[in-house]
Amino acid sequence: MKTPRELLLARHRAAEPKLDALRREVVAAELNNQATREQSFKVSLVTSLLCCSNKLWRELVWPCRRTWAALAAVWVVLALVHLAQRDGSPPALAQSAPTAGMILTFRDQQEILNELFADRSVPAEVVRPGIYAPKPRTETVALLAA
Amino acid sequence: MPEVADPEPLPVPLARAGDPAAWDALFRRYQLPLYVFVFELVRDESASLDLVQETFLAAVKHLGTLRDNAKFGSWLFGIAHQKCRQRWRQRTEVLFDEIPESAGEWEPGPDDLLIRREEEAGFMNLVAQLPPPQRAALLLHYVEEFSLEEIARITEAQLGTVKSRLHYAKRALRKLLEAKNENPA
Repeated sequence: MKTPRELLLARHRAAEPKLDALRREVVAAELNNQATREQSFKVSLVTSLLCCSNKLWRELVWPCRRTWAALAAVWVVLALVHLAQRDGSPPALAQSAPTAGMILTFRDQQEILNELFADRSVPAEVVRPGIYAPKPRTETVALLAA
Repeated sequence: MPEVADPEPLPVPLARAGDPAAWDALFRRYQLPLYVFVFELVRDESASLDLVQETFLAAVKHLGTLRDNAKFGSWLFGIAHQKCRQRWRQRTEVLFDEIPESAGEWEPGPDDLLIRREEEAGFMNLVAQLPPPQRAALLLHYVEEFSLEEIARITEAQLGTVKSRLHYAKRALRKLLEAKNENPA
């Protein structure tokens, strides 16, 4: 006497070797896929970086190579001039003392600035206008005439 | 049915992490029941092996969609059932769900069905003759002892429909066994 489960499993027990092989194949494929996925990520990262730099070179640098070369030469000249100046005496601006005219001008400027930013606040009671009281038009005209 | 009980928890979390040994253990646990289920539905050995392999590959690919690790078994059988349905539709154009099943209700109770040696062939023939939906429900019930809710989820059917299918399948099975007992010759 068998239960339906026992009977069903016993009927197909012969397929087990094939199922084992199939299972191993799937698991190996999964293992392989994982390794491939990890490797392919690294490869794709390097490839994309190389591709990007190559593209930059081809599309940005190479078509205007003369311009880039000229710019580079200018930068080299500028760097050389800068180095030559640094090797010599200290800068002329730091060396020269301010003249009397410059000092006078500076003082004038200072005074103007002081006037401009001086505190002009007036007491509130002086500024506040009186309460407006409407008057007949004739009185206003008389006041203006006087 | 002592074989159904799982003494150890399934290594689904390890499989999620991509551990090949965990996948091997999971597939070893389910390969034969899955094959029985698929074979009894499609009745073709090489097609069954192909479908089991496709099910395994789909499981590896889509494990992320499984929410509850404890339901790995029913999830796997669900994939296999879908594959069988696809094949069935391609081959015969008979729709799995369009067989009328209205009357009859599944009555939960002790399942003391035991099959004698002389009844084995009859039982297998009967299983083969059942309409695919009833066959699928019966196989899931017997092979993995899935609950009605799990069978409903696997076969993408309503709970009432599953109860009805099982009722018909078991009634047909009992009739066969009773007839054999009455006429042993």
